[in-house]
Amino acid sequence: MIRGLHIGLLLLLLVGCRKDSGLDTPEQDRPFALELPPGFSMPPIPADNPLTEASVQLGKALFFDTRLSRDNSINCASCHLPDRAFSDITALSVGIDGRTGFRNSPTLANVGYHTRFFRDGGVPTLEQQVIAPIHDPVEMDHNIQVAATNLRDVEPYRRLSMLAYGKPLDAWVLSRALANYQRTLISGWSRWDRWMQGEADALNASEVRGWQLFSSEALNCMACHGGNDFSDHDFHNVGQYLDYADPGRERITLQSGDLGKFKTPTLRNIALTAPYMHDGAMATLDAVIDHFATGGLAHPARSPEMRTFVLSPQDKADLIAFLNALTDERPLDQVR
Amino acid sequence: MKKSAVLIPIVLALVACTKPEKPTPPTPIPPAPSTGTLRITLVPEWEGQPLQFFTEYRNFMDYRTTVELVKVYFGNISMVEGTDTLLVKDVALFDLADDATVDIPVPEGAWSTVHAMLGVPAELNYADPALYGVDHPLSVSNGTYWTWATGYRYVMFEGRYDPDPQSTATLMSAYAMHPGMEPSLVEFGLSPSAGITIVKGQTTELQVRVAVDRFFHSDEFQIDLATEHTAHGNNIPLQWKLVNNVVKSMTLE
Repeated sequence: MIRGLHIGLLLLLLVGCRKDSGLDTPEQDRPFALELPPGFSMPPIPADNPLTEASVQLGKALFFDTRLSRDNSINCASCHLPDRAFSDITALSVGIDGRTGFRNSPTLANVGYHTRFFRDGGVPTLEQQVIAPIHDPVEMDHNIQVAATNLRDVEPYRRLSMLAYGKPLDAWVLSRALANYQRTLISGWSRWDRWMQGEADALNASEVRGWQLFSSEALNCMACHGGNDFSDHDFHNVGQYLDYADPGRERITLQSGDLGKFKTPTLRNIALTAPYMHDGAMATLDAVIDHFATGGLAHPARSPEMRTFVLSPQDKADLIAFLNALTDERPLDQVR
Repeated sequence: MKKSAVLIPIVLALVACTKPEKPTPPTPIPPAPSTGTLRITLVPEWEGQPLQFFTEYRNFMDYRTTVELVKVYFGNISMVEGTDTLLVKDVALFDLADDATVDIPVPEGAWSTVHAMLGVPAELNYADPALYGVDHPLSVSNGTYWTWATGYRYVMFEGRYDPDPQSTATLMSAYAMHPGMEPSLVEFGLSPSAGITIVKGQTTELQVRVAVDRFFHSDEFQIDLATEHTAHGNNIPLQWKLVNNVVKSMTLE
């Protein structure tokens, strides 16, 4: 009898103390196991925004939620289409009420490795970048604080926000969660990657010739399109125009030498991300290669790395074949 | 024996389940020095009369002109007396069409000058705006934050104009001057002739008349809307003209 009482009290003690011991928390957040391609380092993660399961789940749910736009008509994926490597198929993306922006929506692949955001690099962190499309009158035309308040008590936001950040959804949580989801969009699983890792039959002969051309000094593509992301993430004027309607980097730095400079885009998944250039002015890779072969127009701020080159029709076909081999063989989205 | 065997586990259970001890209360913060409130109000005017937003006026070049929006930031607001300077508020936003009053706690005493910068201090200008709640002067809800470039518009001055004084057409051409970024920071002081006396628990009013018509011209700078109507962090010459004219437009009652 006494023993039974003791056991009962012991159970009571354990049950009664569960709150303090944390045992009554059925769900606990944990680090998100980001898969990285061979040779890729972990993207930088801000100290105040650890990459966790709950944070990326929250970010993904927000990314596809039209309630981030003022009239509930569009979401992030409206202009960053998942089956287009999170880029857009139109030259200039269309926001709410059919309003048109002035730049082409870039792919979000490997955006976690960038150090400046937007094509002109005006924003220094992914977290701050999130605010812009939500507020932009030609994109979502909403208010991040209002959007967060409206979704605060809605599931799964309430639960995931508490789990990931320990507080209800607000602008701070919303921006961090969306940033973290974008950090998971890693690209590095193409046939070219397999070929580089030793799978000799991953590329055909034309694609290999294209890679050799691409990496040649004559074409000098690697001057800006080098590294794991095929981008130096820096800003260059490639002589697309003599008179730029869009000042590019100059809009941020106010330096005339930065006129017409835009961030080097990644070439990964380039077969999926047409149209090309900062304004989507070139519809095909053929047109882009033709432009670069000319060395670009003689704009005063044109990059000294631009140089003319001549390609035979076969060379061009090989180059395009190589570029097409940069398409990932698996979805970018790792958040299930 | 049996009774104690029962009681001991109960006591144990109670003790074990006691919430963790509350941390020792921190040492009480010494009472703040006696403070009063400095209430700064910006009063928008056009040629000495209260400014009516969206009403057509003639500017100094006889252009038909309306004013639709005026917002200004004061940064690093400090009280000055002799060689003593005391920072009393890091940043305040004045919306001259809506809420142009800011209350600031200030230690009691006699001060000669309120010193500030027209704009947002650099250390705040580039912080993440998601840190701030809706009521904060740096909240993104104020519409003053440049989402595409980070940083704040130090001044937002918007309206419409028509260079043709004879025209009766609806004013269609817009002007929007949004100075920002470091090249546009200017400092100024407001020194009432009677000084500023802050009394504990009381509010001292500082009414600042803002001659919005003078935003377009001062002794030093003239702005011709026909050619100078847009600045969004760029167009440094126009930004510089505007921020200097804004500072010069402010007078005390």
